[in-house]
Amino acid sequence: MFGYVVTNKEELKIKEWNRYQSFYCGLCRTLRTRHGIKGQMTLNYDMVFLAILLSALYESQTETKSYLCPLHPTKKQRVFQNEILEYVADMDILLAYHNLRDGWQDEKNVAKLLSAQILKSDYQKTALMYPRQSKAVTEYMEDLNKCQNRLESNVDVVAGLTGTMMAELFVFREDEWSDRLRWVGFFLGKFIYLMDAFDDMEQDQKKKQFNVWLNLKQSEELNAMIQETLIQTMAECAKIFEELPIILDIELLRNIIYAGVWTKYHRKVQSEHDRSL
Amino acid sequence: MTDPYRILGVQRTADDAEIKTAYRKLSRIYHPDSNVNNPNADIAEKKFKEIQEAYNQIIKEREGGTGSAQDGYRSWTGGSFYKEQTQETDEIRACITYIQNGYYKEALNVLAGISNKDAKWYYLSAIANSGAGNTATALEHARRAVSMEPDNFQYRSLLGQLERGGNWYQKQGTGYGQTFQTGGGWCCEMLALNVLCNCCCRI
Repeated sequence: MFGYVVTNKEELKIKEWNRYQSFYCGLCRTLRTRHGIKGQMTLNYDMVFLAILLSALYESQTETKSYLCPLHPTKKQRVFQNEILEYVADMDILLAYHNLRDGWQDEKNVAKLLSAQILKSDYQKTALMYPRQSKAVTEYMEDLNKCQNRLESNVDVVAGLTGTMMAELFVFREDEWSDRLRWVGFFLGKFIYLMDAFDDMEQDQKKKQFNVWLNLKQSEELNAMIQETLIQTMAECAKIFEELPIILDIELLRNIIYAGVWTKYHRKVQSEHDRSL
Repeated sequence: MTDPYRILGVQRTADDAEIKTAYRKLSRIYHPDSNVNNPNADIAEKKFKEIQEAYNQIIKEREGGTGSAQDGYRSWTGGSFYKEQTQETDEIRACITYIQNGYYKEALNVLAGISNKDAKWYYLSAIANSGAGNTATALEHARRAVSMEPDNFQYRSLLGQLERGGNWYQKQGTGYGQTFQTGGGWCCEMLALNVLCNCCCRI
């Protein structure tokens, strides 16, 4: 959704990185097959993570295809295909459509409105296939607007909305793992929201837009508090993740959960540090 | 109950990866999806449930290492603290019952109706918030309880447990190239304090 859930590539083994690529290209191809080029445009890293997580947990039967991508024409890509990627591609459409609508309402960005219009019929078909998930996304958008309008200052309340929505998307089917998957999705969703708010602080301040961190008392300790809250949130996510019986791609998933998700955080802290010199 | 390690066919000393592998192997055999045409499908299903329960039990037992917030309330309910306090109000007692049974949102509703917010209120609120996934509020209220009654070991122990989760996560991250710029001194101090608190709570 926001692209925060990425790998820490430097620490990955080559074979782990290759598998990541195959999932990434696999999701891209699946979006293309199911939703056309317009679907392909919505591809994002957070959803690649979900595809790897669910494929690993369910050890889904995965086919490997070789494909020459126009974006990387020098080399044939190894592309994964499985039922999880189909599910995740559909979730991507649900989220992307609402994000674009939201972007239009908040920023009056015409490009976003047009993109949403183009996705509309795919969205409507997909929403019918997944009533539980599409309800979660619709309610999320409404609740988030309410929260912003009343200038809610409780970090857990605001971020919890993204968490609650993500919790539903993480549940591919109701079974013995759905509770834990909900918690993993919940905390990761909270983290993504809080990270995004942190990333946007200056911009929101300038434009006088809602930002949960700006609603708190501004002090020197605020940055330390933000870091602590983000760490604690990911810690909860990681704890429950470790309870899942995942063997396949475990090191790749851990690389993302323990390190990759901090990529943008460090980039921002570093650039602030450089500016202050 | 039968020894869960025996059900999975692993030693007690097995690490998490061995347990997960053993669970995987057995669940592949007994999962209902693999036994659709099996005339003994009901036996397989019973076996599958057993494996599932054994796995969950082992994972729960081992949770302590990750500093799960719920541990805080478990060690607390097991202690003598609860019995000593006979003059609890009905609301506080209701709240404790909800927490003990995992109804965190209901516990929070009860707490919201109490106007006298003393240290114990913040302590219970921290536990209920932690259980409901409100990580930031839980930490804030645990700190408030400790600052109101610095000598209370229960409160300190809870705060320590909440903070330990973050420390555990950061430690895990170092293996994946992740480091934070923080004053390590304070964390270490809290960690040391935790160990002390835990000793006291076990008495």
